[in-house]
Amino acid sequence: MNAVILPVAIKMLSHNKLRFFMTVTGISMAFFLAAAQIGLLVGWVNTNSAIINHAGADLWVMAKETRTFDYGTAIPRHRVQQVSSVPGVKWAESMLIGWATWHHPQGKRINVEVIGLDDSFTGGPWEFASGSIEITRQPDTVVVDELYGDMLGVWKVGDEAEIQGHRVIMGGFSRGVRTFTAAPFVFTSIRNAQKYTPYYRDDEISYVLARVAEGEDPMKVRDLINQSVSNVEALTSSEFAERSVKYWMLETGIGITVIITAALGMLVGAVIMSQTLFAITQDHLPNYATLLALGFHHKTLRSIILSQSFCLGGLGISLGAVLFGVASNASATSPIPLETTNYVSIALIIFFLLCCIGASWFSIRAIFKLDPVMVFHG
Amino acid sequence: MSSDVLVCQGISKSYGEGEQKEQVLSRVDLTFQKGQASVLIGPSGSGKTTLLSILGCLLAPSEGELIINSEAVNFKDKSSLTEVRRLKLGFIFQHAQLLPFLTIKENLVVFARNTGMQADDIEQRIQLLIERLQLVAMAPKFPSQLSGGQRQRVAIARALLHRPSIVLADEPTAALDWHNGQTVVELLLDQARVEQAVLVVVTHDVRMLPLFDRILAIENGIVQVKQNVK
Ligand SMILES: Nc1ncnc2c1ncn2[C@@H]1O[C@H](COP(=O)(O)OP(=O)(O)OP(=O)(O)O)[C@@H](O)[C@H]1O
Ligand SMILES: [Mg+2]
Repeated sequence: MNAVILPVAIKMLSHNKLRFFMTVTGISMAFFLAAAQIGLLVGWVNTNSAIINHAGADLWVMAKETRTFDYGTAIPRHRVQQVSSVPGVKWAESMLIGWATWHHPQGKRINVEVIGLDDSFTGGPWEFASGSIEITRQPDTVVVDELYGDMLGVWKVGDEAEIQGHRVIMGGFSRGVRTFTAAPFVFTSIRNAQKYTPYYRDDEISYVLARVAEGEDPMKVRDLINQSVSNVEALTSSEFAERSVKYWMLETGIGITVIITAALGMLVGAVIMSQTLFAITQDHLPNYATLLALGFHHKTLRSIILSQSFCLGGLGISLGAVLFGVASNASATSPIPLETTNYVSIALIIFFLLCCIGASWFSIRAIFKLDPVMVFHG
Repeated sequence: MSSDVLVCQGISKSYGEGEQKEQVLSRVDLTFQKGQASVLIGPSGSGKTTLLSILGCLLAPSEGELIINSEAVNFKDKSSLTEVRRLKLGFIFQHAQLLPFLTIKENLVVFARNTGMQADDIEQRIQLLIERLQLVAMAPKFPSQLSGGQRQRVAIARALLHRPSIVLADEPTAALDWHNGQTVVELLLDQARVEQAVLVVVTHDVRMLPLFDRILAIENGIVQVKQNVK
């Protein structure tokens, strides 16, 4: 029995090559649209939490109610010592984060996010195109990412610009360190950073980054910090990353927009699938009636239609996935990368395939309504 | 087992309800024997297609019973009707109704497979039938590349492939000219006799009548049987 389903299903589809090609293209574009939206989301999530994830700290200590990494506010600098002295903490370092205005050499003003790093530069860029982070120990020396060179008007080590009226010299360019807000990161030492963020007092920082001693449970140490250090909140790295991501994705509505667009992509895919399959089925109704009259069971015809939706969906998804791969590669060095994870890809493919199969419902219903007696009247 | 392959017992068929009710067949009793070829004639709208649809397990009679190979057909069970059609019946329609997206060979293979025939049997059987029906050169072509007569010959091959005990044809020559039509009917008769199948053919063409064993004339719901003397 199965030896008839595939040949009939596939040849019925491929007989009209142009329509077949257009359908697969349409479905692949719809899949690509959905995948690109999801890829954007994954890329943003990764960008949102990149500094936290790359810093390698176990715990982040911050002002209470800090919504997201980018909006850190002032806490007293001596919290570093207080955190260091909590049992189970191996070391602690500070970080300062503030917003400032960058003067492009040609006069444009650009908002930047200044990140002041402590002695060992924990939380700094993890990859360099040129220069290094250590050089920012020197006065007025900063590092930005090569992605934002054009925007900031600096292209090579030694180039100069201005932040908040202070001259700065480029000490290096990082690679792939994106900002989620429109404001590029400017990495430098805490001492330099304080000059560019005058609303911070000299004895203030934004974060304490801590690592726990070997064998210690970060959660327990976190609770200890929360109990013993006043007016701060300690979170594990993953909690802080999650909070930052949730802030941007949920509280700002950006995530919802992206998810709605992705859902629309799937809907469009399902509609294209549904319409094409229905049109093909409708065109072939007399043939289906013939098949029924000549002893094909309804369930065999249903399998034919399901195979068709699987075939169209599978090909569309494959082609869409290739497109996504190309787009993802092309965007890898752009400020807005399309990224994915195995889990996300598999979930998206399964969900899309289910949409395609669901879309064959109208066609299957048309077949089940078909009365083979019509063959003699056709 | 008796040689009565197909038996109609008091089969009636009406369409519609109440005032609209139209009695098309009134208590039709018929028997069809192995290898017997009948031609069904009657004015337009007399119920030829209706009777053929009932014989073909495509349409349930309002009353009466259809018995195939000594077994009463259960018209309530759609799936068992399909089984009867799949295994015991062969059909030929006015227009061959081949699948346009398959070649002639593929058309035959797909139907043969659906009837559960073994692969080597399918090969041999198709070879035999396309030779007898002079279709060998057509095998790799698509239906749209064939003439009407050639298509009907393919339809005959398709109807006989699985050695059905009953072959039903509704105006198989209506779309053909006289010469082609006669050739098709003669081929159909020959093949059905070789295969010892019951054959029932509907036609409007009186010139065909002498070719059959008997004539079934239908008018006002009543079927009259006339034997052809040879
Ligand atoms: N599905 C249906 N619903 C209602 N009436 C029908 C239906 N099918 C056929 N009829 C009626 O039953 C009668 C017999 O129809 P049928 O198709 O069997 O005639 P026929 O002898 O095959 O005619 P023709 O030679 O024109 O093909 C006609 O009056 C037709 O209107
Ligand atoms: Mg008719």
